[in-house]
Amino acid sequence: MTHPEPFSNAPRLQLPNVNRRTLLVGGGLAAAGIVLARTIRELTLGRSSVFIAKNQKYDGPLVQTIRDGLIGCGLDPKEIDRKRILLKPNLVEPARDAPHMTTHPAMILAAAEVFRNWGGIVTVGEGPGHVRDTEMALVESGVADALDSLKLSFSDLNYEEVVWTPNRGRASKLPGFFFPRSVAEADLVVSLPKMKTHHWVGVTAAMKNLYGVIPGIKYGWPKNVLHHNGIPETVFDINASLPKTIAIVDGIDCMEGDGPIMGTKKQMGLVVVGTNPAAVDATICRLMDVNPQQVPYLALAGNKLGPLENRLIEQRGEAWQPLQSSFQMLDKPHLRSLVRHRGVLVS
Amino acid sequence: MTTVDEFARIALGDLPASLENPAMADWLQSALDELAKSPECGYLPKQKAATEPSALTALALLGHGRQEEAQPVLDYLARAQQADGSVGVREAEATPGWPTSLAVIAWQLFDSTNHRARIDRAMKWISSMHGEKLERSPEMGHNTQLDGWPWAAGTHSWLEPTAFALLAYRAAGQQSHPRAAEAIRLLIDRQLPDGGCNYGNTTVLGQTLRPHVQPTGIAMLALAGESDPSGRMERSLTWLQWSLNARTTATSLSWALHGLYAHGREVRQAEVHLASACERVQQHDQSPHKFALLALAALGQQSPLLRGGRPSSLPSQSDSTS
Repeated sequence: MTHPEPFSNAPRLQLPNVNRRTLLVGGGLAAAGIVLARTIRELTLGRSSVFIAKNQKYDGPLVQTIRDGLIGCGLDPKEIDRKRILLKPNLVEPARDAPHMTTHPAMILAAAEVFRNWGGIVTVGEGPGHVRDTEMALVESGVADALDSLKLSFSDLNYEEVVWTPNRGRASKLPGFFFPRSVAEADLVVSLPKMKTHHWVGVTAAMKNLYGVIPGIKYGWPKNVLHHNGIPETVFDINASLPKTIAIVDGIDCMEGDGPIMGTKKQMGLVVVGTNPAAVDATICRLMDVNPQQVPYLALAGNKLGPLENRLIEQRGEAWQPLQSSFQMLDKPHLRSLVRHRGVLVS
Repeated sequence: MTTVDEFARIALGDLPASLENPAMADWLQSALDELAKSPECGYLPKQKAATEPSALTALALLGHGRQEEAQPVLDYLARAQQADGSVGVREAEATPGWPTSLAVIAWQLFDSTNHRARIDRAMKWISSMHGEKLERSPEMGHNTQLDGWPWAAGTHSWLEPTAFALLAYRAAGQQSHPRAAEAIRLLIDRQLPDGGCNYGNTTVLGQTLRPHVQPTGIAMLALAGESDPSGRMERSLTWLQWSLNARTTATSLSWALHGLYAHGREVRQAEVHLASACERVQQHDQSPHKFALLALAALGQQSPLLRGGRPSSLPSQSDSTS
């Protein structure tokens, strides 16, 4: 299923049903070289699938939803058998009075159960960016009790031993990253973010959540080394440098306004799943009525880490259009382009 | 300034009150025995040793009169010290150097004479380290021009590394250093209007942020003996006292108790909270870092972090854990 891109006036490009070799041969004959080059890039990069489930609840059948979503996006359960799976929720700081800030424990448990049932060796890992006491973040968010209930192991990514990894993105000046060992050695990293607005970069979901794999012991609290090298650039670079990463987004109780910490709760009832975090985030933006091309780290990721354009994202499950609901965004100059198409902002 | 002689007195016979207290004796003895087995420790058991938990373990063993068992840590910290005086996060990881302050406190309290050269080099490095100043902006509530310490070189000044540096100045007897005075200003500036603090932001884009227990405790410890006419420090102490409960986790609880004791505040049920936190650690990650902090907090006013960090003008106060 494809949908017109709501934030662009560019005409839809109909992709021919050809393989790459056919396209390359044909390319020599084509007059529209620019269009062809773009098409080749799109095809070599690949289309991506994103699954949306609506009417979701934390006490509902989340295991089935996540399993259906992953299979629907092309993940082969046989690939998971005996693989090291790192689930990375968002537990940025303790907040008993703001549960809409952090990934709900039910989402973590459901994802863990799916991967365990497929034979995966599951660990949950997080390196909160705002607090040094990770245990407090686990307890306050309810995740500590949840992990106990399934005897899930937890890796405190802020303090683990680190492995140097070259920066494969090179959007920032950082030559590489210190990744915690359990991240560097994972066969699959699963970003498990909360769907939220972000007061600096507009939206935080699958890609921005992976700031939390960066160890505070090396980068600080907050992870200020990243900020000083550019938030969009380092979000892109981290995603480009990590092992294979997929995304399962908690879009049930979300955050709008002054996210990712001080915003207000917005109920959406969604679970969004995909094997390409950039494509997932582009879909999250559309659900929030935000222009993904204007989210700075997504602008960097487009055509490099994954497709952003709607016509390149196969929508599985529900279509995003009927589910779209405008998330309030702070009325700040650096955020206006993300929602310019709407006209009305909240301060 | 507390010296090794004072701690030696503890070792020679005067047991810390915490070990004579039946409410704490069981878990505390067990935690100390675990720490003594491997005083050069990581944040978790079997992890590669790291300088912060090792320094805290040394201080905990020292405070409980077991300094002989802590001796390997001092050697470990010495091996971790770089030519420029800094102490990195692990022996083989020279940067960032934020644990240097904790190493100074450990060296100073154990044997400042023998470690004099190391302490001097470390203090020189600490004094040379500056957070990046940012232009003042209405979007950031704190004074971005104050000169504090970053977690990592080339970044802004944040609360905990600045507090640790201030504690190091005090431990080294350099509390009159101009950087120490600026650190006090910074730590007060980073208190939230209604009390408490977090990693070091107050308001961002017009919104006041949430306080957290651990950084508030560390800041209050570092601000021992200081006054704050604005009243924010007083509100932070009140918030901190109000925040503690049976679910407060080990490191937050331990730093909070240090912060409150540093200002002579009574903490009801501190022993119960410590026992609960320790039980959680025992059941979960058995973290030496957490055991060390709990053991230090169990010392109350006798904690080396309090004695080493207190200005000489502040009178000693009775143990308020009971």
